Amino acid sequence: MTTIPRQMQRSGAQRRARESTAARITGSSRAVSSLYIHVPFCVKKCNYCDFFSVPFDESTAFAYTDALCRELKMKAHLAGSIETVYIGGGTPSLLPHACLSRLFRTLQRSYTLSETAEVTIETNPGTISGATIDLLLSRGVNRISVGVQSFDDAELRLLGRIHTADDATRTLSFLRKSGFNTISLDLMFGIPGQTLDSWRTSLARCLECAPTHLSCYELTLEEGTPFWNSVQKPPEDAIVDMYVHACDFCEHYGYGQYEISNFALSGHRCVHNLNYWRRGEYIGAGAGAHSFVGDTRSRNVRDIRSYIRHLAEGVAPEVDSAMLSPVESAREFLFLGLRTTDGIRIRDADALGLDLLRAAEELREGGFLEMRGTVLRMTRRGFAVSTAVLVHLLQNLGL
Amino acid sequence: MGTGRFRDADARMTGVILRADRGGHACNCPAACDKLYILSSMKNIRNFSIIAHIDHGKSTLADRLLEYTGALSEREMTDQVLDSMDLERERGITIKAHAVRLTYAADDGVLYVLNLIDTPGHVDFSYEVSRSLASCEGALLVVDASQGVEAQTLANAYHALEHHLEIIPVINKIDLPAADPQKTVTQIEETIGIDCSEAILASAKEGIGTKEILEAIVKRIPPPRGDDGEPLKALIFDSWFDNYQGVVVLVRVFEGRVRAGMRIRLTATGSVFEVSQVGVFLPKITQVPELSAGEVGYIVAGIKRVTDTKIGDTITDADRPTDEPCPGYKETKPLVFCGLYPTQAHQYENLRDALNKLRLNDSSFVYEPETSLALGFGFRCGFLGLLHMEIVKERLEREFDLALISTAPTVVYRVTHTNGSVSFIDNPALLPDRYETIEEPFVSATIFLPAEFIGPILDLCQEKRGVQTTFTYIGKDRVRIDYELPLNEILWDFYDRLKSLSKGYASMDYDFLGYRESRLVRLHILLNGETVDALSSIVHADRAYQKGRDLTEKLRDIIPRQMFEVVIQAAIGNKIIARESVRAIRKDVLAKCYGGDITRKRKLLEKQKEGKKKMKQFGRVELPQEAFLAVLKLK
Repeated sequence: MTTIPRQMQRSGAQRRARESTAARITGSSRAVSSLYIHVPFCVKKCNYCDFFSVPFDESTAFAYTDALCRELKMKAHLAGSIETVYIGGGTPSLLPHACLSRLFRTLQRSYTLSETAEVTIETNPGTISGATIDLLLSRGVNRISVGVQSFDDAELRLLGRIHTADDATRTLSFLRKSGFNTISLDLMFGIPGQTLDSWRTSLARCLECAPTHLSCYELTLEEGTPFWNSVQKPPEDAIVDMYVHACDFCEHYGYGQYEISNFALSGHRCVHNLNYWRRGEYIGAGAGAHSFVGDTRSRNVRDIRSYIRHLAEGVAPEVDSAMLSPVESAREFLFLGLRTTDGIRIRDADALGLDLLRAAEELREGGFLEMRGTVLRMTRRGFAVSTAVLVHLLQNLGL
Repeated sequence: MGTGRFRDADARMTGVILRADRGGHACNCPAACDKLYILSSMKNIRNFSIIAHIDHGKSTLADRLLEYTGALSEREMTDQVLDSMDLERERGITIKAHAVRLTYAADDGVLYVLNLIDTPGHVDFSYEVSRSLASCEGALLVVDASQGVEAQTLANAYHALEHHLEIIPVINKIDLPAADPQKTVTQIEETIGIDCSEAILASAKEGIGTKEILEAIVKRIPPPRGDDGEPLKALIFDSWFDNYQGVVVLVRVFEGRVRAGMRIRLTATGSVFEVSQVGVFLPKITQVPELSAGEVGYIVAGIKRVTDTKIGDTITDADRPTDEPCPGYKETKPLVFCGLYPTQAHQYENLRDALNKLRLNDSSFVYEPETSLALGFGFRCGFLGLLHMEIVKERLEREFDLALISTAPTVVYRVTHTNGSVSFIDNPALLPDRYETIEEPFVSATIFLPAEFIGPILDLCQEKRGVQTTFTYIGKDRVRIDYELPLNEILWDFYDRLKSLSKGYASMDYDFLGYRESRLVRLHILLNGETVDALSSIVHADRAYQKGRDLTEKLRDIIPRQMFEVVIQAAIGNKIIARESVRAIRKDVLAKCYGGDITRKRKLLEKQKEGKKKMKQFGRVELPQEAFLAVLKLK
C-alpha cells in the first residue's frame, strides 16, 4: 500500500491516462484492478433508500470489519495491481477508527495498490470528524463522496436525512481544506415538493462548496421504502426541466458530463464507476456487495449476521452467481456503454456481430443518439429517455 | 354390446336395475360389474334442465343432485362436475351442454331415470339453449334468494315457457343472511307469471332441499311421450369431437329407437352414417344397448366433423325415415366477425393449428386466412356473438399459449357494387370506395323490463337507431317492447347498458330479421399519417363525426406515450374529421447502478422489452391490444 501525502495533487494528464486504461470493453482474464467495499451502517435509514444498510452498532461494526477483512484476504488472489478502491455504504465514515485502520491494514497487506490508485470513501454531512479525515488521508484515501442530496432543509427533512443544508456546507468547507484530491457531491432531483427554483438554489449552493465532481440523480421510488406509494414526485415535465437545468448548469461551470448522472471538472471523473460502465471486472467485498470476475456476476448475502457467519466459517458469502450468456453480455455492453458520453465504438459493436449503426438509424433521426466520429452515443435528449432508447435498441438488434 | 343376451323386455316391464360391464356383457351379477344403468318404461323417465342466472347456484345444485342420487361418490366429486372446462368454471358460464343420467328411488317406491340436460346461459347461445330445452319436459328455475330475479333468468324462463315446460321454482341460497325467500317468490310470480305456491326453498351449498327437488321432478314434470315403434326421430342438442370416438352427438329420442349397427341419416345434410355405439353419461360415459323414445343419450357413428352434426337437426333411420323432423331447426350462422392475428409473425402456423383444433369441437365458429397491412398474416373469424368470440380468443391464448391481437368485431354487410354484383363484407377494410348500396343486418329484439326503467331504455334503443314495433304492459309494472335494431348497434355495449340502466332486470332476446339498406360510411384511422386498416370501422353517416372524435380521443388515452409523438386522425374517405396526439415521452431515465449492481438494471431492461412483445409495432408506433378494440368502447 502506498501512502499518498495529502498535499500531493496529481496532474490532469496523469488522471486522464488512468481513465483510459480502464477503458475495456469486456472482462478479460487478466487480474482484477477494481475493488468495492461495502459498509452497511447508517445513523438512520433515509425514507427513499432501498440500498442495504442497518443502524450503526459498535459491536456489530467490529464483527463486520473482521468478516470484511477475511473476505478481502480470501479474494486477494483474484487481484492484480489495484487501480480503484471504492468504500461505499451506508455511511462508511461511521466506522470506528480501529475498524478503519484494520480495514486499510488488510488492504495494504493483501493487495497491491497502484501508486496512482483512486481511493474513494462515501460520507454524509455531519458524520465525519477531523480525526477521521486525517486517518483517511493518511491511509491513501484521495476521493471523498458526500451525500448532500439537497440544500433545502424542507426537502432534506422529507427525505429523512439527518443533516441540514448548513451542516453540508460546513462539512464541505472543512473537507475542501483537508486535501482530498477529489470531492464529489451527490444531489437529488425529483424530490416530492421540489421545484425548479429550489433545484436551482441547491445547484448554486453546491457551487459555493466548490466540489470537483457532481452526481445528480433523480429520486426513484422503490418498493419496500417508506416513500413507496406514499409520496408524489413533481410532474414529469418539471423533472425533465430539472435534469436539463443540471446539465446546462454543469456545462456552464466546467463540470463536463461524462455519464447520465455524472459531471466532473477535467481530470476528476470517477475511474471506479467508469470501470463499471466499461464492463471492467471488479471484486466486491461486504454484505450485499456485487462482483464481476471473468464472465460471472455475483452478489454477496445481504444479511449482516449471515454474512459474518459465512466468513467466520470460512465460507464464501456469494449467494447469487450467474455466468453471463453472450446475449446478456451484449446487452450489458450496450446499456452500460451508452450511459457514458464516450459512448460505444462502432467497431467494438461490429466485433460482437451487432449492426449497431442500422439499429440506431431511427433513434439517430429522432435525435436520441448521435455519431461522434466512429462513436455512437446518446444525446442529452436521449439520456432523458434512456430506458426507452435502450429497450428500442435492444429490440432492433434482436437482443 | 351383446344385446342378444340382454333381457331388455323383462327389464322394461319391471324397471329392474341391470348391471352391465364395459365389455358389452350384461347380467345381474353384482360382483363382476361396476356400472349401473336402467332400462325403464317411459313413465319412469324425467327429462329436465336447470335455468339460472350466472352465480345463482346452478352448477352447485347439479352437483348435489348427482351426489344425492349416487351418480358420483364423494371421492369422485370435484366441484361442479358439469362445467368441465376450466374456462367455464372461471367465468361461471357453461359453454357446452351436457346430459347426465341419474337414477332416483322416489318415495313412491319406484326407481326413476332423471336426465339432467345442462344449458349454456348467455344470449350468444340462445339457440343452443332453446334446443336443449326442446329436449326436456320440465325445468328447475333456480333463483338466488339474496339476489332475486335477474335478466338472464327471465330470458331462459320465457324460453322454457315457449316450449311448454313444467317449471319448478327453486329458491336457492336460503342459508345466506341476506336471503329473502318470500320476496323472491313474489318477484318470480310477478315477473315471470308462474305459480310459486309450491316453490322449493333450498341451499345447494348446504344440501338443503335436494330431496324435495328430486321428489318435485318426479311428481310434477310429466314423463316423455312418444312411440318406440315409430321411425327414429332424435333431436341433436349438442355435439363435440372426441379424439378417439370422432364426433359424439347428444340426442333426445322422440320416436323410435337407435342402436349400434343401425344406419342413420342427418336430416339437414342428408349424410348417412352407421351407428357404432350408443350410451349415456352416468356421468361417466357408459354404453347401453339402445336408446328409445323418451330417452336422452349419446350416439357415436364414425362422424368426422362437428359441422355435420348441426344443433337442432333431426337424426332419423336411413332406411325408414320419419316424415316429420323435429321443429325449430335453424342453420346457425356466425353473426360477428373479427380478425385474429398473432402479435409475433412466427406464431401464424401455431395459430392456424390451434384454430383447427378448436373448430373440431365448435362448429359454430368459422375462420379463413386474411392479411392486414398493419397486422400481417392472420385469420378472419366468425362467431355467434361477442361472448363466444371472447371465449374462443381466451381459449386460444390459454390452451395454446398464443399472444393475439383481435380487431374490433363487426357484422356482415351486403354490398351491391356499381356493376350490379353483390358481395358480403365481414371486414370494414375491404369495403370498396365506390358502391351502389350497402345493407346491414337488422334484428328484431324483444325486451322485457320493469316499467320504472322504460324511459332510459327507450332512449337507449333510440340512440341505437332502433324502430319500435310493439309496446305492451304485462301486469301493472312490467313492459314488453319490441324493436327493430341494426345488429351492429346491439353487438357492442347494448346488452351491458341495458342491464345497467335497468339494474339488471331487463332481459333481451333477438332474432335475425334481414338486410336493410342504410347510410353507412367507413371511418378509418391514421396514425402518423398512415392508415391502419385494422382500425377501420363501418358507421352510420349521421354518427360518423361524433364517432371519429370519440375514437381518436379513446385512442389517445389508450396509446401509451412513446419515443415519438403519435398523431391520431380519423377520416372518412380523404376528409380528416378528427385529430388527437400522444406526446412523446420526455423522461425515462435508466437510474443509478448502485454499487456495481448491473444485473438489476439488465433485468429491468429485459422485463420492459418483454412487455413490449404484447404490443403490435406499426411503423414507429406501438399499439396495445386495447387500441384495436377502442371502437367498442364508444358510446
